[in-house]
Amino acid sequence: MRCAIVGAGLGGFVAYATLRHGGLEPGEIAVFGHDPDPASAWRPRAEAIRQRLMRSESDGHCYPTSFPGLAAREAARTGSLTPLLRSVADRYRPSVGEFLRHVDLLRARSGWDESFLPANVESVRSVDGGFELDDHGSFRHVLLAPGHPGLALPPELAGDSRAVHAYEPHEYADRVAIVGAGMAAATEWLNALAAGAEVVSVRRREPARRPLNVARPLFSKRGLAGFHATKPVERAQLLKSFAAPSYPPGRSWDAPLAAAASEGRFRVTAELNGSEQVICATGFHRGFQHDALLRRLVEEHGLETHERWLVLDPDSTVPALTDATRTLSLAGVSAQWAYPAGDTLVGMKFAARRFLGKVGACPTR
Amino acid sequence: MSYTLRGRLESRLAVSLLPFAVACVLAAGLREWWPLQLAGTMIAIGLFLDAALYHRLFPYQPGWVALPLGLLELGATMALVLRLDVEAPLRPALAFFAGSWLLAQVLGQAGFPLLRLGYGDDGGELGRSGSALSLAAPVATLAVLGVAWIAQPPTINIRGTIQGPLVLDRAQTLVGAPGTVVRGGIVILADDVTVRDVTVFGGEIGIEVRKSEDVVLDRVHVAAATMDGISARQSSLEIHDCRIDTPPVAGAQGIDISFASDQPPSLVEGCEVRGGSEGIVSHMAMVMVSENRVSGTALRGIAVTEMSMGSVEHNTVEDATGVGIYCGDYSHCEISENSVTGTRVDESGNPTRAGFGIVSHFGAVATLEDNQLDRGAAAFIDGRLEHR
Repeated sequence: MRCAIVGAGLGGFVAYATLRHGGLEPGEIAVFGHDPDPASAWRPRAEAIRQRLMRSESDGHCYPTSFPGLAAREAARTGSLTPLLRSVADRYRPSVGEFLRHVDLLRARSGWDESFLPANVESVRSVDGGFELDDHGSFRHVLLAPGHPGLALPPELAGDSRAVHAYEPHEYADRVAIVGAGMAAATEWLNALAAGAEVVSVRRREPARRPLNVARPLFSKRGLAGFHATKPVERAQLLKSFAAPSYPPGRSWDAPLAAAASEGRFRVTAELNGSEQVICATGFHRGFQHDALLRRLVEEHGLETHERWLVLDPDSTVPALTDATRTLSLAGVSAQWAYPAGDTLVGMKFAARRFLGKVGACPTR
Repeated sequence: MSYTLRGRLESRLAVSLLPFAVACVLAAGLREWWPLQLAGTMIAIGLFLDAALYHRLFPYQPGWVALPLGLLELGATMALVLRLDVEAPLRPALAFFAGSWLLAQVLGQAGFPLLRLGYGDDGGELGRSGSALSLAAPVATLAVLGVAWIAQPPTINIRGTIQGPLVLDRAQTLVGAPGTVVRGGIVILADDVTVRDVTVFGGEIGIEVRKSEDVVLDRVHVAAATMDGISARQSSLEIHDCRIDTPPVAGAQGIDISFASDQPPSLVEGCEVRGGSEGIVSHMAMVMVSENRVSGTALRGIAVTEMSMGSVEHNTVEDATGVGIYCGDYSHCEISENSVTGTRVDESGNPTRAGFGIVSHFGAVATLEDNQLDRGAAAFIDGRLEHR
């Protein structure tokens, strides 16, 4: 086989769909993962926070071409122009149902299950003309999409029976403290208030209000050119600033919070109090060190890193292990050094398209 | 979409390919230049705005912004088209622009992202195709300009005395050397004919224009034509800086532009017309008669009649018998800032020909402003004089 994708989540799925669009057959691609459902990791997290709408827009899908996006598909399916009109005004947010529907459709159509191999790849070793993945054989082109390296809980809450991570299944007590100030936290504030709880938002920083994780120009070459030109220290600072908590602006967020605050059911503090339940909307562990596969890759091959990031070329490849004959590429959150919004679907496509370009340009394929 | 500058320009050029091709086909089919001129103007405005304005203004451009930007480009394109005197008919021009804009949206939102996976990631850049397009664009421009230059009507230089009548039945520019004389008249039977620096002597009609558009008579001198100095029928023409010497023959006219209601307006400007029955006259035509000197006419100096529409301004009419400036037979005339002096009473005793500076006659409407008349203005048989 020519290509391997390590990680069968959405990042791997996007890469697979892109390779298939580029002309590779299912028999030429091996996908290693735990679960053949590419949404298996994402789905329970969305369910846990009762997410109904995606933060992403019409482009936030797994299809290889950006058109038709989810807005156009929903418009065609429902016969309504509303999704398209909302999309041209950047106000379209696909529902979680719409998103999962397209994942299922694309999975069935793409031949994903033919390429899926249930295996946990623990190491990637550079060998002559490619990479060896444990004892699964050697591949000339490999894309690593390991996903987020586990849920992050504040150390002081480890072992606290009141604490639950927002992305784990939970109900709401009468008095709830929600730690964090990002999109998941904001969703949980509204969930808990809707469930009749009294909510305390525990946060040390005020969240930024922006529609997407990062500024829009950073999703394409215009913004990326400046980003890629930064020195490592500056780039790390930028990435940290992008990781600051944020959620979209809008009345649908503000009005319920304002109403609850006026009723004394929502307030903000910097420290935990005696709430019955503590929901940690604190996201994921950050950095390659938390991912066993990446950590071993770095250690065994002496790869360049900066703080918590694996240093990548602008095309999302590992520079020391990529040349004209082979490719080691990263997609997802671990590819942030190349693409700040690497953990978005658009970011996953960015890495996948460049990976396809490398595969296509390789003289021996 | 966050366009790079290169992406904007390449996308602009790519979406312009089909409209440009359509303009080429239209130009060839209609045998008109305006489709290419319109397409060229539209593309040039777009490229200019991309480089000078949009790139700075929109680090990120939401989809809806295409609509106001399209209207801005439409306004700028039409303004430039008017400024450059591109003779594009309004509705087809608007339809062409609208079709091109729609095509650009479809290609930008759907076509290019389908054809090129990284179109959005690359800020609208089109890779090698875009580079080729950027190189091809100036080549295509030069090619069109070259074709335009080659397709220009030929210039024919004449000199000496030529026995006419000369019949010009193809587009051309006829230029006379100093002292060139054509005897027996010139007949123009084709569009896009220019006659410059030629004296026409004798014949019934000095210069006869029939069913032709875009005719220009520049610095022509007509003398001794026994019927009309210049006669245009069902035609549209511009006459600049001419001289007409009409012999004292009954019924002879200086310049007659008639039966051209369905043609673009004609212009008579800077001419000197001496003698004849009527100096400058239009029947059923739209005319602009400006800055001419008309003298010694036997019937009327300047006449706009038979349901014509005309503006008569800054002319000097001297020593006319009967009427200086005449607006007749349901015509509509704007008569302003003319000087009419020395008019004389016609011996016929006809009260409408009592030497008035301006006469409005038989249902005509003459709007007057700042004219200098030594014998006043009068209206007869439902003619109206309106003063501004």
